[in-house]
Amino acid sequence: MIPPARLVPPALLTALLLSGCVSPAWDDHDYALKAGKTAESAASAVRFARSVVAYRDRMTGPYAEVVLTEAVHDLGSVNDQFGGVQPPSDASDRIRDEVLRLTEKAENEVEDLLIQTRRDGVKDPAAAVRDLGRLASELSDLAERHK
Amino acid sequence: MKRFLAVTLGILTAFGGFVDIGDLVANAVVGSRFGMSLAWVVVVGIIGICVFAEMSGRIAAVSQRPVFDLVRERMGPRAGLVNLGASFFINVLTLAAEIGGAALALELVTGLNYLLWVPPVALVAWLVMWRVKFETMERVFGLAGLALVVFIVALWQLGPDWGELTTQLVRPPQDEGVPTYLYYAIALLGGAMTPYEVFFFSSGGVEERWTRRDLVTARANVFVGFPLGGVLSLTIAACAATVFMPVAAEPDSLGQMVLPVAQGLGKVGLGVVILGVFAATFGATLETALSSGYSLSQYFGWQWGKYVVPGRAARFHVTVLASVIVATALILTTIDPIKVTEYSLVFSAAALPLTYLPVLMIANDPDYMGEKVNGRFSNVLGSFYMVLLLVVAVAAIPLMIATKAGQ
Repeated sequence: MIPPARLVPPALLTALLLSGCVSPAWDDHDYALKAGKTAESAASAVRFARSVVAYRDRMTGPYAEVVLTEAVHDLGSVNDQFGGVQPPSDASDRIRDEVLRLTEKAENEVEDLLIQTRRDGVKDPAAAVRDLGRLASELSDLAERHK
Repeated sequence: MKRFLAVTLGILTAFGGFVDIGDLVANAVVGSRFGMSLAWVVVVGIIGICVFAEMSGRIAAVSQRPVFDLVRERMGPRAGLVNLGASFFINVLTLAAEIGGAALALELVTGLNYLLWVPPVALVAWLVMWRVKFETMERVFGLAGLALVVFIVALWQLGPDWGELTTQLVRPPQDEGVPTYLYYAIALLGGAMTPYEVFFFSSGGVEERWTRRDLVTARANVFVGFPLGGVLSLTIAACAATVFMPVAAEPDSLGQMVLPVAQGLGKVGLGVVILGVFAATFGATLETALSSGYSLSQYFGWQWGKYVVPGRAARFHVTVLASVIVATALILTTIDPIKVTEYSLVFSAAALPLTYLPVLMIANDPDYMGEKVNGRFSNVLGSFYMVLLLVVAVAAIPLMIATKAGQ
């Protein structure tokens, strides 16, 4: 018989490790909450990318590239994580399509901006700022609806 | 000028507590999510670390022995070993994060992936600890870290709504849950009072050969260095509350957290803040690596310190080198340095009583302190903080699990 005190450290470690994992969606409500959280994270990443483009002349090239790369990485990981959660019903399928449509669009747009930045700079900064602002608002609205 | 330079030990130590890699990002996250509503925790942290750092500086000046040396003697080998185990683990974890933080700062300058910078940073840090005098080291990195004052200039330049920032002081955002609020409060307190600060500070006092005549210098280090670190911490949160909070953007990287400075001050400000971040994280690298050597050597009674030639303190230097190698290997696994430090802040919080109870006991022991034992004011404050730290230690890990580390 193992003394209970000895079980505490492994139990704590297991709980700690599990706390960092993505859990499956138990029902439609849980799935919608995950969708809202995903949209919120994506909106945050898009807003950082928008700031980089908007204040591009106040930043050094390597710095702007690093922050845009992080935004692309964040959006990619948001897509991968949410895409990996099984939607529990048809209703959740619709939410899934709606969220992934926006987050994948965001990832593509920010990735394009990163490519442009690495070449000769963003071609049309004003349009990029406008598009990213609109996208961030759509994602925020989505997050708000699924809170 | 000489008097100003005399407080660089306090400044360097305080950077480890308030603006190392974990605190830099944690302060920005807190500012973006909670505005200034957690500012009171920083104030509690400043007072707490001042109380205990003053005690440990006084212990070093009066007994000419650092705190950890006395912990084993006063508390016995078993209690000392528990203390050593907890603080050494947190030290190496934090060291890994700091090496990663300095490498991330270089990535922001060069655009080269931070993993390429990790080995050079670790090598240079080890060379500095091996070759450079303690006093030179603390002055260079303590003073260079002052570049972070640029956050204060940036905040002024951003022109925040001061009324709104003041209102936030007493009004937490409604959409954040109480457990998450408390989790970040504990992380901030754990960061402000992180255990290696007192070990480094008292060992630094011995390295500088403080005696009773240096009590004023010890106190000046405490009451200048730590409040300065706290003010910088509050300013970073205020910058984030001004720029990120209104648009619901949450920074999770070093690059994102310095964005307000770039917005406010442009390329020059950006260059200065990255210099400050590098100096603060590199300084914290030295602080944590040396603290590993200090605590282990002092526990086992080995010759330690940079005030003797390395050949005479071989086991101390081997411990420092081994800690640097282990920390470098850990960060080269591509584990996120920011995540490492977020967890180490909470583990620090859980280990706080183990660090500060012995300090309080030794500072009250006339065998070590003679007539320089704690006065009533220090004891009242010290006892209050011990109760607070016990509550924090009990709540830290459950809150981390319940909130999924503040998510």
